[in-house]
Amino acid sequence: MTNQEVKASSSRFWRVLIYTTLIVFAAFYLLPLFVMLITSFKDLEELRQGNMLSLPQNWTIAAWIKAWGSACIGLTCEGINGYFWNSIKMVVPSVLISTLLGAINGYVLTKWRFKGDRWVFALMLFGCFIPFQIVLIPMSQILGNLGLAGTTTGLVLVHVTYGIGFATLFFRNYYAAFPTELVKAAMIDGASFLGIFWRILLPSSGPIIVVTVIWQFTNIWNDFLFGASFAAGESAPMTVALNNLVSSSTGVKEYNVDMAAAMIAALPTLLVYIVAGRYFVRGLMAGSVKG
Amino acid sequence: MTHTTDDWRGWVRHHLPKLVLSPSFAVTLFFVYGFILYTGLLSLTSSRMMPNFNLIGFENYSKLWQTLNWQVALNNLAIFGTLYIVICGLLGMFLAILLDQKIRGEGFLRPIYLYPMALSFIVTGTAWKWFLNPGLGLEKTMHEWGWTSFKFDWLINSDMAIYTVVIAAVWQSSGFVMAMFLAGLRGIDSEQVKAAQLDGASAVQTYWRIIIPQLRPVFLSAFVVLAHMAIKSYDLVVALTGGGPGNATEVPATFMYSYTFTRNQMGVGAASAMIMLMTIAAIIVPYLYAETREQRHD
Amino acid sequence: MASLEIRNVCKSYGSVDVLKSINIAINHGDFLVLVGPSGCGKSTLLSMIAGLDEITSGELVIDGEVVNDKHPSQRDIAMVFQSYALYPNMSVEKNIAFGLEMRGVPKAERDKKVESVSQMLQIGPLLKRKPAQLSGGQRQRVAMGRALVREPKIFLFDEPLSNLDAKLRVDMRTEIKKLHQRLGATIVYVTHDQIEAMTLATRIAIMKAGILQQLGTPQEVYDTPNNVFVASFMGSPSMNLIPATVVAHQNSVAARLTSPQGNELILPLPQPERYQTWIDKPVILGIRPEAITDMSSAEPNNPWVFPADCQVDVTEPTGADVYVLTTLGGKEIVARMRSNCGAVVGQKTPFAFNMAKAVLFDPQTENRI
Repeated sequence: MTNQEVKASSSRFWRVLIYTTLIVFAAFYLLPLFVMLITSFKDLEELRQGNMLSLPQNWTIAAWIKAWGSACIGLTCEGINGYFWNSIKMVVPSVLISTLLGAINGYVLTKWRFKGDRWVFALMLFGCFIPFQIVLIPMSQILGNLGLAGTTTGLVLVHVTYGIGFATLFFRNYYAAFPTELVKAAMIDGASFLGIFWRILLPSSGPIIVVTVIWQFTNIWNDFLFGASFAAGESAPMTVALNNLVSSSTGVKEYNVDMAAAMIAALPTLLVYIVAGRYFVRGLMAGSVKG
Repeated sequence: MTHTTDDWRGWVRHHLPKLVLSPSFAVTLFFVYGFILYTGLLSLTSSRMMPNFNLIGFENYSKLWQTLNWQVALNNLAIFGTLYIVICGLLGMFLAILLDQKIRGEGFLRPIYLYPMALSFIVTGTAWKWFLNPGLGLEKTMHEWGWTSFKFDWLINSDMAIYTVVIAAVWQSSGFVMAMFLAGLRGIDSEQVKAAQLDGASAVQTYWRIIIPQLRPVFLSAFVVLAHMAIKSYDLVVALTGGGPGNATEVPATFMYSYTFTRNQMGVGAASAMIMLMTIAAIIVPYLYAETREQRHD
Repeated sequence: MASLEIRNVCKSYGSVDVLKSINIAINHGDFLVLVGPSGCGKSTLLSMIAGLDEITSGELVIDGEVVNDKHPSQRDIAMVFQSYALYPNMSVEKNIAFGLEMRGVPKAERDKKVESVSQMLQIGPLLKRKPAQLSGGQRQRVAMGRALVREPKIFLFDEPLSNLDAKLRVDMRTEIKKLHQRLGATIVYVTHDQIEAMTLATRIAIMKAGILQQLGTPQEVYDTPNNVFVASFMGSPSMNLIPATVVAHQNSVAARLTSPQGNELILPLPQPERYQTWIDKPVILGIRPEAITDMSSAEPNNPWVFPADCQVDVTEPTGADVYVLTTLGGKEIVARMRSNCGAVVGQKTPFAFNMAKAVLFDPQTENRI
């Protein structure tokens, strides 16, 4: 072999090794989802007898139907569908309100700078990172006093409150790169404070709105701590119901139903990820790299 | 200045931006900083099931440090936090470097590494709980494949259960760290790499001497994000082990919750929350300070 | 169309004074160019005229009315920005009509005005496009259209040509000049390019470090600069500034220069009475390159043209002319000669100094004597 050929074959060896490693890790990341999925399509008998990794011999959606409509959570046996809707009712207003507030806050903090605006922003930003354990006790009292304890409205209030920080961060960083001359031009053209926001900035904010909505949606849908603390019983969100279903120890453990319920809980955010993964990653980056 | 209607309109117009911002700011002041002060106050009282304002100094804190459960929680956080940060960081960087080798199918692989980040920790916990179930999961599968001596009972083994939390948490977050490193790698001027090659550096040397040192900001960001997530981690522990077996996987977040809401030790719970806050603040505040200072220069 | 008066206007950010007591007045129909190096405060002054920056002290008067506290939209001004600032989400048509819409002009009238402006600027075919689909020159036109359609009292231009390539810049410059002549509009125009200033302005305000150095017509600031800064900033190649001494000479006054060979050069000065008190004192002699020529280019009947043989250091042909460099008073000086003047590097050649165009500066204060 010539020198050139040695080089070529050793580089081919490395390429194969790299691809193999990458594929092995892909399998590692996919495996739990795969197991969860096939388990949800098996019946109980096959779960006990068969191999966890083998495909179902008799595909059945019985577990999904049961998880959705008749699985027992706490004392009621009506499945998780009610909790799924609870989550929707909680997520939609929370996302809309916090995104809108974040947008207008970002607009003020970048285009209408005032003395001390950095402090305002820094204080709001730190609010994103506190461990929420610190607010659990006073929040439960306030919600109790407002008569919102254990209600979806209460959860919306909580999620908006603690979602404003990130939404403001996203929009602030986005609008910081938005040319200020456009705002000046619109001012000379006679547009008002809100007119400039509505007519000039908002129409150009498509990407960051998508990023913020996805970020807020994922975070709020996946929240467990607030849901478990402030919305007991019937008004609990999906994640709390799933945890109750999985960790209840009465009767026969139906893992296939657990897995179907987990899939149902995971589907909305997974769908968002599949459809708009690019924006999801941008949100993750914006929420961390640029603190 | 006389206050005519014109002045009034001018005043509103002048202050409208601040007026618009103020509700959000007021909410933050009250629900974040007000609540922190309130919890701080409670941590100095003898509150048990209901809050009271009977000040007892730092008694709750000294009680906290003598509580065995809290020591276990801190110990677990140390193990979990260290392994979680180190493994996520190394694995994330490793995968990012591999993916940066002009890989065909990168657009296909990358989302696979990252998707667990979109899942709820409760879903992750449920999935791994099933996967690691000693009776029906991985262990049984291995036995069926002929490896009968295979034993994997970490989930129900008090000494090892915390490591299952590490596995599941790494599974969930390492793809995200990979994405951060990949973005960092893509930000490095490719001419530097060419220059290093002309200087005779091998691929490994190029990474070790030229590229990785330039990724320092990414290491820092990854550390801050992971440390902050480790300290806050609650959902995953609840879903995967429920803090058990026994109290083997107790962490500060679960400790705070159970002492406050189920064990009627609100004062101690508040004290533990304060300690969590201060730990996170010690990591986050300098980081945010540095980041916002940077922005001031441009 | 309107007059503009800037009275004792100052601007400070904290303890930093950005503008120091600026006084400028222009009449309706004037084309005022604010020119100076970056950081001289010219853009800040423009922003203050627009109402985008607050005035720290002093008064801004448009048509006899103090407008300090007026909102930008109420000052009846229009501005063309350096980046053009076209709204990216709106078509060209909407961009131009936006200011009218905000002022409640009915749709039909808006359409009519957009139509006539687009005709004037020849951007009719672009009306439906978005700004991102336009070239630099087209964006420039749209930005001007947006200002024109409003028919404001005053037009403000903030370095509008700096983002264009050289060729386009010259074309647009001519176009702006034509527009001004056609509309008779009052214009305030900021640039750092002195050629733009000279070609466009009816009045030039030269600024440096927040201080107005000189206000005058292009010819005034070119021929009789107030100080060394203005002399060297305006004109390209810039004015020769030669260390010299004023001496008494044949019942009159002259400037004495020394060549590197030690020879003395005596150049008589016009208006000797101005320089009586400066006899035997050092001065800076300012003379533009085109006032130093070869003998045959010099005005034959001008009594103030004086020949002198100087050593040629370098020749820089530009095609039409040749710049001939020599050294006088320890400084390199540039003369502008015909391209066939026959100057040869290293040899002596006669230079004709048109002293009627010479000015003297005080070397201490750098002000004109």
